[in-house]
Amino acid sequence: MPNTLVKSSAESAFLDLHKKLLERGRPALAELQEIALRRFDSLRFPHSKHEMYTYVNTKELAATSFGLPDDAANVSEDFVSRHIYPGCEHQCLVFVDGTFDRGLSRFEGMRADIAPLSEADRELKNYLSETAANENDVFASLSTAFCGDGIIFKVDDNTQISDTLQVLFVSTGRAAAPVMHAPRLVWQLGKLSEVKVIEKFVGRDGGYFINSVQDWLLAEGAGVSFTQVQADVFDSWHFSKTRVHLNRDAKFYSTNASSGTQLARHHYEVWLKEKGSELKLNGISVLDGKEQVHNFVRIHHAAPQCVSRQHFKNIVNGAARSSFDGTVIVNREAQLTTSDQLVNNLMLSDNCHTNNKPNLMILADDVKCTHGVTVGQIDEDQWFYLQTRGLSAKAAKELLTRSFAQSIIQTIEFPAVVEELSGSLLQKLEATDA
Amino acid sequence: MLEIKNLHARVDGNEILEGISLTVKAGEIHAVMGPNGSGKSTLAKILSGHPSYEVADGQILFEKNNLLEMDAEERSLSGIFMGFQYPVEVPGVNNAEFLRMAFNARRVRDGEEEIDPLDFDELLSEKMKMLKMENKYKERNLNDGFSGGEKKKNEILQMAILKPKLAILDETDSGLDIDALRTVAEGVNSLRNEKNALILITHYQRLLDYIKPDFVHVLHKGKIVKSGDKALAIELESQGYDWVTTEN
Ligand SMILES: Nc1ncnc2c1ncn2[C@@H]1O[C@H](COP(=O)(O)OP(=O)(O)OP(=O)(O)O)[C@@H](O)[C@H]1O
Ligand SMILES: [Mg+2]
Repeated sequence: MPNTLVKSSAESAFLDLHKKLLERGRPALAELQEIALRRFDSLRFPHSKHEMYTYVNTKELAATSFGLPDDAANVSEDFVSRHIYPGCEHQCLVFVDGTFDRGLSRFEGMRADIAPLSEADRELKNYLSETAANENDVFASLSTAFCGDGIIFKVDDNTQISDTLQVLFVSTGRAAAPVMHAPRLVWQLGKLSEVKVIEKFVGRDGGYFINSVQDWLLAEGAGVSFTQVQADVFDSWHFSKTRVHLNRDAKFYSTNASSGTQLARHHYEVWLKEKGSELKLNGISVLDGKEQVHNFVRIHHAAPQCVSRQHFKNIVNGAARSSFDGTVIVNREAQLTTSDQLVNNLMLSDNCHTNNKPNLMILADDVKCTHGVTVGQIDEDQWFYLQTRGLSAKAAKELLTRSFAQSIIQTIEFPAVVEELSGSLLQKLEATDA
Repeated sequence: MLEIKNLHARVDGNEILEGISLTVKAGEIHAVMGPNGSGKSTLAKILSGHPSYEVADGQILFEKNNLLEMDAEERSLSGIFMGFQYPVEVPGVNNAEFLRMAFNARRVRDGEEEIDPLDFDELLSEKMKMLKMENKYKERNLNDGFSGGEKKKNEILQMAILKPKLAILDETDSGLDIDALRTVAEGVNSLRNEKNALILITHYQRLLDYIKPDFVHVLHKGKIVKSGDKALAIELESQGYDWVTTEN
């Protein structure tokens, strides 16, 4: 490998760690790992002015000395079932420390194929190699370089799965040294197929780095409803990269609810590749203490008559931080594009921070695109109004905060998730009043 | 019931009320009139506990308690209600749910149990019917996107649910059409009894045809410059404020 001598210790630590990984035996995705590792080596960890990490300080994370995971982490069925939403008991995929756990998963009567990523067909393998070689995000490269094996979730043409599927990512945490988990999922959706997916990320103990990558490949007319709940423990790192490819008339509706960690970052990269495809990307973060959530979004409108709608809301308290860095790129051929991008921040304390950079790059001339950001506090007039009707200052503030979150929460179609979110939101507000 | 003595109040350093004294007894209706900017809404907001106003001098007793020591929540719970001149829109807060929360806050304070949601819905329906409000306003968010008149009706709906001892209605008539004004006035009248009292802030004698005041006061530059009975309102309607304000 070139430049080994001038490399900073952060990168070489991971390269050394990878050598140790190889000593354990040839990984199932050896070739892909090799490509990703080379890409990681050329991308390098971001310096402080890196354009993809403007608001995210990764120095401490990169400098952390990570170890390899122990062979078999043990997670009880009881722990798992506590985190499975009602209605998903019979359809859930469980990952433990980044690795798919067949024993803990349930797929009774599932109308989809689930296969290891190492068994991908040639076409998918080519896609994965090419993506890894051209990866733009160094942490996604790192994830692929360390990914043991992933899962392909394949739904045939014309198959609509009405039951909701849950994916649970459990990190056991607290090993001798911090460990990075690199779960990998590829979702292949056939023509006119439909799925509803809830993903939840939880930790049993802290000190881990969950660094996931997923690819959503939607054929003509496919539809996805995707809800993500990030509920890791505070002293963990959570990075995710979600790549979405939408073919003709495909629809991808996504809502992410994050409670933050010491550093959480979601990277979305979406291609609206063919006419009539539609994206909804929503996010809500409820942050307190020193929690952070950063969203980084790139949306490529490459075909005419596509729609993308983004709405992110952040409730930021304590000394928490949020950021949004989003760009919509409308290619020359993407006439009649409709795109909007809105970020609302509710700042509840003097010490909290938010940075927002919505951006549009429009090369087509006949488009309807908007973007906007608001940063505000609890509205004093609303707050007073509610108190004059007998609500305490605290109850009124809670009500207003919940109502701020409402427009995103109501896009989630699963009552159990909504209930859980409202609960944790209130819990955080209460914690700070004490 | 309410005793205001020599009230002086400031906002952002500007003296707005310059010595107001007013006594309201149970069963009475007081109308407060006066030109724009004379301090009527300021008085109403101070009574309901708005934090932006600084009381520089004077005293307010409500049922013998020092009102100025109570926060907005306490004042509401002890029976004061202000109908806002400009009711605030609160998107994301369901109207019916909010009303139930407010109703329950009062029950809890009185040591009672929270009302059964179905019973509350019935109570709400009854009050809405009285005010000729369609059911769809239950589903709407609090004042969100309501027209000017709808917001005013919604204020009276809140009053009807909360049954205050003292209601201060700040220009509730402005923005209501003729039929709505009559409906609202009938609603307010139906809530009246010898134990509660009403302060009506208005520019128009029209409202006072429906809700008959015992006293009419004219506020000018932060002072009550004239008090009288209903005849005063009629006089003001035909002559304007000049004749009372120039006298002083
Ligand atoms: N924050 C503020 N800073 C300075 N002046 C203020 C402030 N709030 C109110 N005022 C002034 O106080 C005065 C009284 O206002 P108020 O709203 O009480 O009048 P009003 O009698 O209700 O008028 P209207 O009939 O138009 O409703 C006005 O001159 C207004 O401009
Ligand atoms: Mg006024």
